[in-house]
Order: sequence, then structure tokens, then C-alpha cells
Amino acid sequence: MASSVAQKRLFHEYKNLSTNPPEGITAGPVSEDDMFYWEALIEGPGGTPFEGGVFAAELKFPKDYPLSPPTMKFVGGGVWHPNVYPNGTVCISILHPPGDDPNHYEHASERWSPIQSVEKILISVMSMLAEPNDESPANVEAAKMWRERRAEYEQKVRDEVRKGLGL
Amino acid sequence: MEQSFDLPDSTDWLGTPLSLLAPLESSLRCQVCKDFFDTPVITSCSHTFCSLCIRRCLSTEGKCPTCRSGDQELKLRRNWLVQEILEAFKNARESALTLAKKEAARIAAGDNGAPETVPKKRKVSQVDNTEATDIVQGSPQRVRTRSRSQMAQAQAQTDGQDRSRPSSFQEVIEDSQDEDFIPGSALVTQDQLQDQLKIQFRQSNRHSGMLNPTAIRGFKSNSSYSRLLQVQSRQPPISPSKPLDRLPAMNYSLLKDIQLRKKFRDLGIPDWGPRQLLQRRHTEWMNLWNANCDSTFPKTKKDLLRELDIWERTQGGFAPTQSSLMPTNTVMAKDFDAAQWSVNHETDFKRLIANARKKSDDQVRSTIPGAAQSSVSNTAGVDNSAQPASGVERSAPIEINSDSPAPGDISR
Repeated sequence: MASSVAQKRLFHEYKNLSTNPPEGITAGPVSEDDMFYWEALIEGPGGTPFEGGVFAAELKFPKDYPLSPPTMKFVGGGVWHPNVYPNGTVCISILHPPGDDPNHYEHASERWSPIQSVEKILISVMSMLAEPNDESPANVEAAKMWRERRAEYEQKVRDEVRKGLGL
Repeated sequence: MEQSFDLPDSTDWLGTPLSLLAPLESSLRCQVCKDFFDTPVITSCSHTFCSLCIRRCLSTEGKCPTCRSGDQELKLRRNWLVQEILEAFKNARESALTLAKKEAARIAAGDNGAPETVPKKRKVSQVDNTEATDIVQGSPQRVRTRSRSQMAQAQAQTDGQDRSRPSSFQEVIEDSQDEDFIPGSALVTQDQLQDQLKIQFRQSNRHSGMLNPTAIRGFKSNSSYSRLLQVQSRQPPISPSKPLDRLPAMNYSLLKDIQLRKKFRDLGIPDWGPRQLLQRRHTEWMNLWNANCDSTFPKTKKDLLRELDIWERTQGGFAPTQSSLMPTNTVMAKDFDAAQWSVNHETDFKRLIANARKKSDDQVRSTIPGAAQSSVSNTAGVDNSAQPASGVERSAPIEINSDSPAPGDISR
């Protein structure tokens, strides 16, 4: 199969991430036969209820990557967070293409651009775990709990983390 | 997949004594394709990309990927300096990297033999000198015997010009660890400086397309410079004998299918497929074609057609369908296919409907007196912890601090 721009670019990113990974982040294609399907592991940021957890996510890249952003979905469940849909799909502005903003709350400067990268997405997701954005929640229940019952939210997150680690 | 994992990359320098070259290499790579700039062009907002990459971005978004200010293809201009720096770097890359890796291996092997810090750069520059140009005839030793004041003088004289000098191979491999080595500039004698200026003058002429390449070959100078000039003159003249005509943008909405397909046949590109695919194919063809017009070494139409074919197989009409892989953000795309979407997300919709039903049932129940009471006590309990961060911080343990609300902050 002829290799496209997207594949080549993803190879570069893969190599970069494996040679020089940012702290707490591992990512790469599940199989080198399909560069458009990646798996990532993110450590829960320290000093947050997610601390100690390791969260697996899948990344799916469109064929016209990097013109369009990938999608990211936590797998194995257990990420109770205002910006993560109950099915695990991550909803943050860096994963949204610029152009029409259906939610009318994101600045264009925060959204996807071809110069963004997997690394930047994963770093953004890490910081999202630490600081939820409840302006346009993907998980309304989690957002309400985060806003109104913080202690309960944190306890639930910690429980999920423990469950995720098989404790 | 054929592609091997040893794709050259800026990270190749990491772990070698020349790891400081990684950021240099990284800045010679296009931020869109992560490859070395191919025909670098500069936008109105002064950002540099491959001609093809920025054309593809502009035809989808109309904005610069770096700063998101609007721009148009027509305003793109070649960035010659970047191209020259890049060529020089690419010439030096392999030998420098080989040496750096050897050195890294030697250090790893624990061979702490005598020449450790001093020679690594010198080795590199020797290789460069023999390979590329003999800008510097004098050995580094000779330079060091000069007095400091002389060096400073020479530097002052060259300072102004030096920054704009096209490609000094010496500087590319400069190692910041060695402080008393003054790159290039200190080595230039007054005579050489004169020649240098002439070359610069000629090069700037070349860029404006005025210089006849034979003039370069006829240019008399000392041996080292004529060698430099040979290197330069190996490049073909910048403006090809017959400049390639750029393809104009097409207003698709003004054309009927039949007319559009006829235009495709005139252009010599495949004319099959639905209208949307035709438009995307034409945009890609236009980008390929116009980027090729910028190129110093234009490809043949046959090559371009081959590239269009790769596009066809990876993103166009022959691209493998990926219904379930389709990203969710197609919601925002113009070509959103509602029917496909509802098929793909049927289970999600069903779940949402089920949830909604359950909730409305709950609400009905909570209006019944007995149930209402429990829900009130529930919310009362909630209110305690629902205080804004300031209230919570006093009563609750430290972790909450780090979680104080900072809306809008998550995704920089």
C-alpha cells in the first residue's frame, strides 16, 4: 500500500514519542500495519484524585490527518470526568477542528490545527484530568458532581482508579 | 507496511554528543508533515511550511496552521534562505550523525581515552570541509595562534555580513561546548571577505532571477572559492526556461457535472466518481500542481499523476472505507452524512433514549411526597460540599486545593 502523508507523519510522531516520551505518557500504533489506530497509556497526574491510575485510551486517525484531528477514547471504562463521555470518548477543544463551533465556548486558538500532535493531545488530556472544564460537559452527571459535591466526585474517581488497577 | 522504522528524525541526535542539533533539525522540518521542508514557502504571517503542506491546509481551512490568521495561496512566497540552510544541513547530516553515533558508542563502551572533548567537533568539520567546500583553508590550529585582538577585529569586520551569509558548513556543526572557537567569521581574511561580498551580491542577483549561471562558472577567484562556486552552480537556474503555468482555482458551483468532467479530461486527471469526490480530487491536483510550480526541481506530470493516484488510494475514491473509524468530529464537517451517522451511532442513541426515559421516570417519582423528602435531604447533603472552593479548602484535605475550578483552562 502506498504510504500517504498521514502515515509518514504518524511514523515521525511515533518515533519521536518512543525516543523522547513526555513524562507519564506512552503511545504508539497497536500494530505497525495500521498507523491509523493507536493505543496510549496516560498516568493520572499527581496531586489529583487520578494519581496512581494508569488510563488506556485508543486514538483513531482520519485519513487526512493532520488536516483533521484524531479521536480519543478511554478504553476499559472508569474515567469519571466532566469532559469524558460515559463511553470513554474524550471531549476537549484540541480534538475539535477549527471552523464552526457548535458549542460556542471554545476559542479557535485552543482547537485542532495541523501543527498540533499526538504528544500535545496527550499532554492536554493529562491537564484536563487535573482541571476539568465544566462549561460544556460531556458527562453531565460527573460535571454536576464535580461542581456541587467535590468530595464525592473525588472519592468516586479514586474508587474507579483503584478498581482499574484491580485492587 | 514497507516503511522501516529508521525514518530520519530529529531525535536521531538524542543520546549522542551532538544532541543539541536536535532542535536545529527540528526547526528545519515542516510542522505539518514533520519532514524536511520540501520547497519551503513563507506565509503572509511569516510562517514557513512545505509548499504542498500549506496549500493543502489553506485549501481546507484558509488559515495558517501556526497562528490561524487567514491567508491565501497566491500570497505564498518562496523562502530561499531556509532552503539553503536546509540543503547545507542535509549535506552535513549523514557524516555528522555517523560520527556522533560512533562517539556515543565509544563513550558507552567506556573508552575514556585521551581525545575526548577536543576532537569531536574538529573531526566533524574536517569531514565537512572535504565533502562540501573548503571555505576554511586554515586549520583550526592556525586560527588559535592568532591574537585575540585580531580575531575580534576580523569578527567585527565580518559581523554585519556574516549573519546573512548563505550557508556556512562550519556553523551548522558548531558545538556550543567549545567556547573559545569562533565560527567561520574569524577565519575570513580581508581578501576572502571581499570575495564573499561579491558572491553574496551575485547570489542575491540569482534569487531575483538575473544571473546567468555561466557567469558563476566564469567568475575568477581563489581556489577555495571557485570550489564553493562549483557547488553553488550545480543547482539549476532558479527560473526554469519555460515557467510552469499555475492552475487557477475553479468555482465548482458554477459548473454542471458534465462541464466539470470535461475540464478533468482536459487536465488529464480521472473524471469518475460523485461530485464531492471530483471537487476533492481537483483541489488535491491543484495543490500538487501549484506546489510543483514552486519547486526548484519540478517533477513531470507523470510523477504528479502518480502522486494523485496515491492520494486516490489513501484518501480519495479508492481509500479503504472506515465507517466505524470515522471520527466523531465529522459533526462539524461540511459534508456531514446524517444517515451514516445515525447508523454508526445507533447504540449510543438507544442508550441515551433509555437514560432519558429512566430519568423522567425518576422525576415523576420524586414528585410523589414520600420520594420528594428523600431527594430534598439528598440535595441538602449536597449543599454542604457544594460550597465554592474557598469554603471547601478550609474543611477538606489538601487534594482539593489542586482541584480548584479553573474553567477554560484545560486545553492549551
